[in-house]
Amino acid sequence: MVPSRGRRLTANVVLVALVLMVPLIFRTKPSIIGYLNIAMLYALATQGLNLLMGFGGLVSLGHAAFMAIGGYTAAVLVMTYHVNMFLAVVAGVAGAGLFGLVIGFPSLRLSGFYLAVATMALGSSVADVIKRLAITGGDYGLSNIPSLRLGPWALTSDASRYYFFVVVLALVFAAVRNFLSSRSGRAVRAVRDSEMTAAAMGVNVAAYKLITFVFAACIAGLSGALYAFTISYLHPTNFGLTFSIGLLSMSIIGGLGTIIGPILGALFWVMLPLIIGAKLTYLATVIFGLSIIGSVVFLPRGLSELVIRIQTRLKL
Amino acid sequence: MNIFANLAFRGLATGAVYALVGMGIVVILQTTNVMNFAQGDTGMFVTYLAFFMITTVKVPYSLVLVLAIAAGAIIGLIVERFMMRSVRSRSHLSLIMLTLGLSLVFQGLAAFLFNSVPLLFPPLVTGDPVKLGPVILSRQDIVVLLATIVVFGILYLFLYRTKQGVAARSISQDEYAARVLGIPTPSIYMLIWAIGSALAGLAALLIVPRFSLEPSFMGLIQVKAFSAIVLGGMDSVFGAAVGGLIIGVVENLVAYQFPAIKDSFMLIVVVIVLLVMPQGLFGKRQQRRF
Repeated sequence: MVPSRGRRLTANVVLVALVLMVPLIFRTKPSIIGYLNIAMLYALATQGLNLLMGFGGLVSLGHAAFMAIGGYTAAVLVMTYHVNMFLAVVAGVAGAGLFGLVIGFPSLRLSGFYLAVATMALGSSVADVIKRLAITGGDYGLSNIPSLRLGPWALTSDASRYYFFVVVLALVFAAVRNFLSSRSGRAVRAVRDSEMTAAAMGVNVAAYKLITFVFAACIAGLSGALYAFTISYLHPTNFGLTFSIGLLSMSIIGGLGTIIGPILGALFWVMLPLIIGAKLTYLATVIFGLSIIGSVVFLPRGLSELVIRIQTRLKL
Repeated sequence: MNIFANLAFRGLATGAVYALVGMGIVVILQTTNVMNFAQGDTGMFVTYLAFFMITTVKVPYSLVLVLAIAAGAIIGLIVERFMMRSVRSRSHLSLIMLTLGLSLVFQGLAAFLFNSVPLLFPPLVTGDPVKLGPVILSRQDIVVLLATIVVFGILYLFLYRTKQGVAARSISQDEYAARVLGIPTPSIYMLIWAIGSALAGLAALLIVPRFSLEPSFMGLIQVKAFSAIVLGGMDSVFGAAVGGLIIGVVENLVAYQFPAIKDSFMLIVVVIVLLVMPQGLFGKRQQRRF
């Protein structure tokens, strides 16, 4: 069945309209918008991890550390050094990217679970170092971080942030998508499928592994910086191994190696505890675990598999 | 001098904890090529079951110890039969993800069924700390140290002196060749998972009195156990035991001199070990395979 252009266009327009209407639909429940914002930030970080694992075949059990570096760099620059917020976010992204380069070097020599252990070690030690530093507030965390500003406009309400994040998310996802369909993206996927074949074809394996790591780290750093200015509170333990595993779970549940997977995974991760209620919040952890197992065993493309099935059913 | 002897021996006791958990991970890793991220949480869940048996059902401690080992083994059998077997042919990555999912399931179940308030677990042996020359150790620490030695001995005898153990080691070298030679790989996998998970239960039960029982108590210990097996070489039970002890001692000495970098220090050492000599202290040197 050849997908028809008209139908796909209609579906996309309807989807965009729905996304834009969400703040209006939940006008009476602003907390929902707040949670959606968090989900979008997580989706951003997860997209980085997805790029790394789903397309690059490189495991990272320390991805939360990139978020921490992005967030802390941006927050400290704004609060202590009174840097312009936009520049601070850029610095956060750059800082995370630089650290991605550092973590990327082990990936040149290690693969599989060796890399998993190395990233786990580096990721956990970042949280530990942040806890010891004075400038980051140490064990007390960093509180009263100013709220997000976009030039002259302060994005204080959840709805305004929602629109801003939708734009950021769309831009980043488009960038990832374009990257993956470019020459470099094909090289990255070739390295994932077989390093030896890729090398034989003239792909510079080491360079592309580093590029993937840096790109993934930058995206996570952006997510962390925006997170800092949204939540206005950072604490090192929030970015430890547990959250790294959380990000990993989101990308697996959403579907590794798919562009929309991170959004679905992050929405599932944030919304499920809300749906089943505070009393049964631990049950959510069980369901997350079972979803990961289910994704690996039955649906290798996770929740995206369902979306793809709906797409074929509707002949989009 | 006295201080350092004490620190070193305390460290040895802590290291025995890492060694016990690490040996369980290595047994599974070296045969099935699965890095079991659920090792710690399997033990945690078994310990909750044991706590329930001791406090509510009032089963005697010694029987609980046996039941806990059995419960661990049963969990291992279930994991191998219903999860690992169907995805064995997939990538390493999916197998690691499965165990991560499993660890979330155990954490959630423990918190859901037993509440997540920290509990005090009674030690196997009570009584005053024992003085060995200048060194003072609690009785439970000595039990853990002895258990590490005994477990290592049993595992060594199993892996090197029994038919099943040799079969398990042959699978780790080349699974296909092992099948060709008539080794029943499915049942060996079952056996290995049962042993590894039983060890997880035993280890958690022995070390929980030093900490408090809560759904996340094995988290950091498991990270240290991973460090231990990296240091010792990933395919050697002996390496895991020695690596665990080394990490325990070094960590304790570092914590005394530089308390701020206690947890990061070993992690950085692990990364350096991985980069400089990935085969660890006692592992076999391997050709890099693509």
